[in-house]
Amino acid sequence: MKVTFKIWRQEQSDAKGALKSYEIDGLSEDMSFLEALDFLNESLVLKNEKVIAFESDCREGICGSCGVFINGRAHGPHDNMATCQVHMRSFKDGDTIVVEPWRAGAFPIVKDLVVDRSAFDRIIEQGAYITAKTGTAAEANAILIPKEVADSSMDVAACIGCGACVATCKNASAALFVSAKINHLNKLPQGQPEGHKRLLEMTTQMELENFGSCTFTAACEMECPAEISISSIAEMNARYIKAKFFG
Amino acid sequence: MNLFFRKSIVAATGLFLCIFLMVHVSANIILVFPEATARSLYNAYSTTLRESMLISIVAYLLYLSIIFHVVYAGIITYKNRNSKGVQNTINHNKENSSWASQNMGVLGMLILIFIIIHLVNFWARVKLGIGETVGTDMAGNIDVYEVTFTLFHNPYYVLFYSILMLPLGFHLHHGLKSAFKTLGFYHKKGLSVLAKISLIYALILSVGFGIIPIIVYFK
Repeated sequence: MKVTFKIWRQEQSDAKGALKSYEIDGLSEDMSFLEALDFLNESLVLKNEKVIAFESDCREGICGSCGVFINGRAHGPHDNMATCQVHMRSFKDGDTIVVEPWRAGAFPIVKDLVVDRSAFDRIIEQGAYITAKTGTAAEANAILIPKEVADSSMDVAACIGCGACVATCKNASAALFVSAKINHLNKLPQGQPEGHKRLLEMTTQMELENFGSCTFTAACEMECPAEISISSIAEMNARYIKAKFFG
Repeated sequence: MNLFFRKSIVAATGLFLCIFLMVHVSANIILVFPEATARSLYNAYSTTLRESMLISIVAYLLYLSIIFHVVYAGIITYKNRNSKGVQNTINHNKENSSWASQNMGVLGMLILIFIIIHLVNFWARVKLGIGETVGTDMAGNIDVYEVTFTLFHNPYYVLFYSILMLPLGFHLHHGLKSAFKTLGFYHKKGLSVLAKISLIYALILSVGFGIIPIIVYFK
């Protein structure tokens, strides 16, 4: 399989970047997209050229480290899938594949396809946890939680923090990520005592990091590898209005 | 003034404008009645509106809503562009979101142009008395029907009034459902019902407003 990669190359955050073309032959349809990039990098090493910087870790869709804009879509052509889960069979022989980094003011480019997502970490630091010492594993039924509540909390807890929601959003809004982190805890009895504080501090940090506001284009829920629904954002808004007006 | 506040203002004013539009399109139906009935009924209706204290208050709320909706939407759009920064070279956002949702600003600008011309055509003449004097009908009411009838016998205005209802339809289709979500409506089944209601609402409004000038033209 032969394709042409057009990849964003940028030496460092304040350098000027540009798309650079790489024709590469000998790929297999069974390769993952990241393996194809590895293959390309090996060929660059042999040519004594600088390799393309990109992030990855688990390569099974659970860690959230990979994430690039492939042919105009966050995480590539499929809905609800991480970059590492995309295979070369999703492309045709002879295709040109444009690969760009996540674009958002809050995610400055570090190098090539690697962006700095520490804005997410700083939001997490504002309360995406409970302060109680949990000790050893508690008796499972010590706090009774209805199944539907536990399920809906798990649905948003699935967020892997990859940043695709921000990257695909025309406003670079982090609302899907932040709502997932808030609702995950605020839905559960363990998270409720610090619920308002968490909500206000995390959303304030979201704004300080210069993420945009959500206009419900719903692009994020289509690209989210964890399939988090935008109803999570509406739920965060409901909690916010409740916290502001009713304390 | 945070993200939530700004967006809630746009949503709340937008919903108020949605209610107004429903009343407006219902009243416009009078225009398609036979001329004798339409003229007296439409003029009597507009006189009632002009003389009502309650409607005057609602009218001021309406002006304020339009201004706040436009100003805050403008601020949000500006800030959001700033948040996004550099755009991707290729973006296939049609594959993950509706065209209307990606272009609410452009659609809103078209609607604003429409509103200004619409106000010049009617509000400025009838309420402010600018331009050609408007006569009265047999019952002594200001003949707003005549203003409408004359305007909609100009094919350019008919085209303008009908075509500009397309962006209105797209804007309302996304805006109505988005406003509810902004204001915290998150029931999942409710949201899918809301999506259908938004579509039906947008269709009724755009087709309703758009077809009446054409009917009047052929009267």
